[in-house]
Amino acid sequence: MRIRTKSSRTNVENFTLNLASMIDVTFLLLIFFMVTTVLIRPEDRLTPLLKTRSDETAAQQDFQPQRIEVLIMEGLPTYRLSDQQFTISTDLQAALMPLPKEPGIFINVEDQVPIGFAVGALQAAHDAGFTKVTYVPVS
Amino acid sequence: MIDVVFLLIIFFMTTAQFAKLTRAEVELPREQGEQNRVPEEEGIVINITLGGNIVVSTEYVTLDRLELLVQEEIQRARGRNAEKVRVLIRADRNCDAAVLNRVVTRLQHMGVGAARIATEIP
Repeated sequence: MRIRTKSSRTNVENFTLNLASMIDVTFLLLIFFMVTTVLIRPEDRLTPLLKTRSDETAAQQDFQPQRIEVLIMEGLPTYRLSDQQFTISTDLQAALMPLPKEPGIFINVEDQVPIGFAVGALQAAHDAGFTKVTYVPVS
Repeated sequence: MIDVVFLLIIFFMTTAQFAKLTRAEVELPREQGEQNRVPEEEGIVINITLGGNIVVSTEYVTLDRLELLVQEEIQRARGRNAEKVRVLIRADRNCDAAVLNRVVTRLQHMGVGAARIATEIP
């Protein structure tokens, strides 16, 4: 690229600016920032209380919270709420809706269940309006 | 021109925020979460990979080592109260809950009353 400026004076002065190197550096910077940029997916969180199996047994003496069991039944990850069984978290949420929320809810998660499925139970309990959701590992 | 370009490079290098490498590459459970947009202190971040490894700050750790790290976090926490320690668990959705269960059991034994489980907003 060539830029020419003409002075108002009679003597003409040629001014040349070579932009080739700047374009190189600019592209280099662009590539550098593109490579080093980390794309972060939007994240959120669920905050369950933590209890062990023994704590849960002790707590039962005072009150009887609802309990969801997350387990493998006939090869499929399943949510069990008393005598009802679900394989989809939205169905579980619908079943949790009419339950009393005050005593809270325990979610017993067995070792073999995928974490994504177990977290589905936490989400269902949260969406159903339970504020006291407790994660209980079952090993 | 070269001076300006170098100046720009130095400017970007000095002002760039190098993100803490606390987050391992895991596929989080696809859930909406609590949708509570209040920013919170992150605390200790425990990553559980698909292979069942526990990663804290790019370091692969055992359960015993994790316990030590959480203890350090408890020491740093306000009033040395384990209940107030912030723990974020980032677990791969396809991993079995066995490792998560072991981590939760350890945390609970250490007095950590609640943990945050990270989700990926679908």
